[in-house]
Amino acid sequence: MRNLWLIVQREFLEKIKSRSFILTAFFGPILLLALLFFLFKFGDSGKKHWDVLVTDPTGVFEGKMLPNQDNAVSYFFLEDYVEMEEFRDAKMYQKFDALVEINEKVLTNKTAFVFYRQKPSLKLQTKIQYQSERRLEEIMVKRFTKLPLSSFRKIKQPLNVAFRNVYDPYDESSDVRGWVGYFYGLLIIGFVFLYGMTILRSVSQEKSNRIIEIVLGSVSPRKLMAGKIIGIGITAIMQLIIWILVVAVGLFIMREFLFQNSLNLSSMVTVQMTEQVKNTSLLDQLLQGNEQNDFLNLIYERIQFGTMNFYFVLFFFASYLFYGAFFTAIGATAGSESDGQQFIIPILLLLVFSAYSGYYCLNNPISNLAQFFQYFPFTAPVVAMVKLALGYEPGTVYQLYLSLLSLLVSAFITLSIAGRLYGNGVLQFGHRIRLSLIIRWLKRK
Amino acid sequence: MIEIQHLTKSYNRKVALDQVSLTIPTGKIVGLLGPNGAGKTTLIRILNQIVLPDSGHIRFFGDVMKHKHLDQVGYLPEERGLYRTMTVEEHAYFLGQLKGLTKKEVRSNLEYWLDKFEISSWKSKRIEELSKGMAQKVQFIFTVLHEPKLLILDEPLSGFDPLNVEIIKIELSNLKAKGTTIILSTHNMKSVEEICDFAYLIDGGKVVSSGSVSVLQEAKKEGIYAIKFSGNMIAFVTALWTDFELVDKEVLNENRFLAYVKMRGDAGFEALLKALIGQVKIEAAWEVLPTMHDVFIQTISAREEAANA
Repeated sequence: MRNLWLIVQREFLEKIKSRSFILTAFFGPILLLALLFFLFKFGDSGKKHWDVLVTDPTGVFEGKMLPNQDNAVSYFFLEDYVEMEEFRDAKMYQKFDALVEINEKVLTNKTAFVFYRQKPSLKLQTKIQYQSERRLEEIMVKRFTKLPLSSFRKIKQPLNVAFRNVYDPYDESSDVRGWVGYFYGLLIIGFVFLYGMTILRSVSQEKSNRIIEIVLGSVSPRKLMAGKIIGIGITAIMQLIIWILVVAVGLFIMREFLFQNSLNLSSMVTVQMTEQVKNTSLLDQLLQGNEQNDFLNLIYERIQFGTMNFYFVLFFFASYLFYGAFFTAIGATAGSESDGQQFIIPILLLLVFSAYSGYYCLNNPISNLAQFFQYFPFTAPVVAMVKLALGYEPGTVYQLYLSLLSLLVSAFITLSIAGRLYGNGVLQFGHRIRLSLIIRWLKRK
Repeated sequence: MIEIQHLTKSYNRKVALDQVSLTIPTGKIVGLLGPNGAGKTTLIRILNQIVLPDSGHIRFFGDVMKHKHLDQVGYLPEERGLYRTMTVEEHAYFLGQLKGLTKKEVRSNLEYWLDKFEISSWKSKRIEELSKGMAQKVQFIFTVLHEPKLLILDEPLSGFDPLNVEIIKIELSNLKAKGTTIILSTHNMKSVEEICDFAYLIDGGKVVSSGSVSVLQEAKKEGIYAIKFSGNMIAFVTALWTDFELVDKEVLNENRFLAYVKMRGDAGFEALLKALIGQVKIEAAWEVLPTMHDVFIQTISAREEAANA
């Protein structure tokens, strides 16, 4: 045990002192935070507030668009014609972002044009169209019917058909959350590859600089392998913890100091929407909100970071052990460092396949194949994270534990095989890997 | 005393060691000689428990050798290697603690050896900053740091300049004097003659010859004598007549020579001297023993000839 601990300690200290560890540990999460910041800041796809000029030469709209002020759009009326070129070039129109052209035949042909300088977001386009349509509706009801506007609206109200999952009636776990799980899964794959390569390099370097023979004069090959995997694994977990802490602190700072208003607004809008849900259409609900950032809402309101992070670390460690065994075996059996590099490709393909399985599960979470992928050790970590994020139906959480167990058992088997290859191959130099050689080493005790 | 008894090891039908038995006396330096592929490395790896034998066993100072005894073994492999990014001190702590030393013991032993070699300033240098020769010296220190009872050195002198070769030889003699048993695997036959008390010649996985260095040389001697004289070379050759044969000669200066003479028939060294006295002025005369290099070549060649026949 003394020597195992010394090996673990050496691996750990060597890795955390390396420049690459320091760079990845601190710049990685900072880069991630920067990415999140940009998504928060600019994730609302466009300008916050639009000034729109409405040209209405015959005064159909009577200089009015909305009963109340809209936070996202302000309308200004002009009872005159303005040509597109004039709007584009004249100094006096530069303060307007768009021009809505209401012609005198609008009541019959029901056509209007909107000229813009920068393309508005889809949400804003819908909003301008909706508000113009509502205003025109008001005018037409007034001119052509005797119905009060409220009665007309009641008649026109579409049937709001709401689809509800019996296990998740309030849609707490949506596809968006599935994507978060997928992101966690991809992080596992990325880290496993990163640290798997670290194991491979470490084994190859010990072989090529021959220190292996001196160390094996004090510890058994299996202990050396175990110490190496554990040492590098602890480094990886430490790096993950640093990532989680830095990102958590960064998210906290962003919430408290940078996006406080956006978050308050989004909460307020949610309450408002709940109040009005009985009387307004789906489109109304959609447009009630300002240009709120769904991504911001997702990160701060909808992800259960505690649970996700806990299982993330567990699944990472299990899959690191599982895949780490392959990297160890390659490093130990390769005759040279470059020889080992080319055998990475099959492992890389398996990791890519694992990433794809997560995407598949995201789209078909209850399919039989997704179930299989959940227990298949190569794909289990990503699929389990996606499923966890989507939420397990009551009574099916055992699937998560089973998935973890399957991964751990597989890791134990692959580590045993890798141990045998390591013991027999680590002292062989300069040969070419052949299948017959590997089989021979597997048979030899 | 290390007793190796009937060790056998095969790799896929290729026999690396075949019933090898040998004894390494305590406090002696024993040379392990043999051509490449003879089985020396396998034997050393078995001694270090890196490889397990198919059969046979080792007694380590009376006990059946087990993994726990490795703390009392120091091993310097032929292919030197250290962790390049670690400092000399960090390395010493790692390897010393692996051999069971406490941090305090590592510190004091390291200081002792660094002072001895006058390289204390290297302590905080990273291995990658050291030259090949410097790294060799440091690795030698790491091998003896834990004061092992058994020291196994595979080509310990290769890569050193002549000055450092002498320093290492002196240190090996000092360690021997302190009671350390040393196994020296080498192709440097001169060093075997100089520092080994005993030698084993291994070939084809078997011990083919063994004994003290002088006994091995004695066994291969060819009855050649060296005569250093001044005088006339023709007179010298005439004096040899039919009982002796001039094998080789070196001209030392105008009328001084070193001649190598082989006996014919029953003629002895005394008869040779009698024949020469009065003909030339003899300055020195001695029996020429084969070098360990010659012993090695002769033994291996004889085995190859026998195998081919």
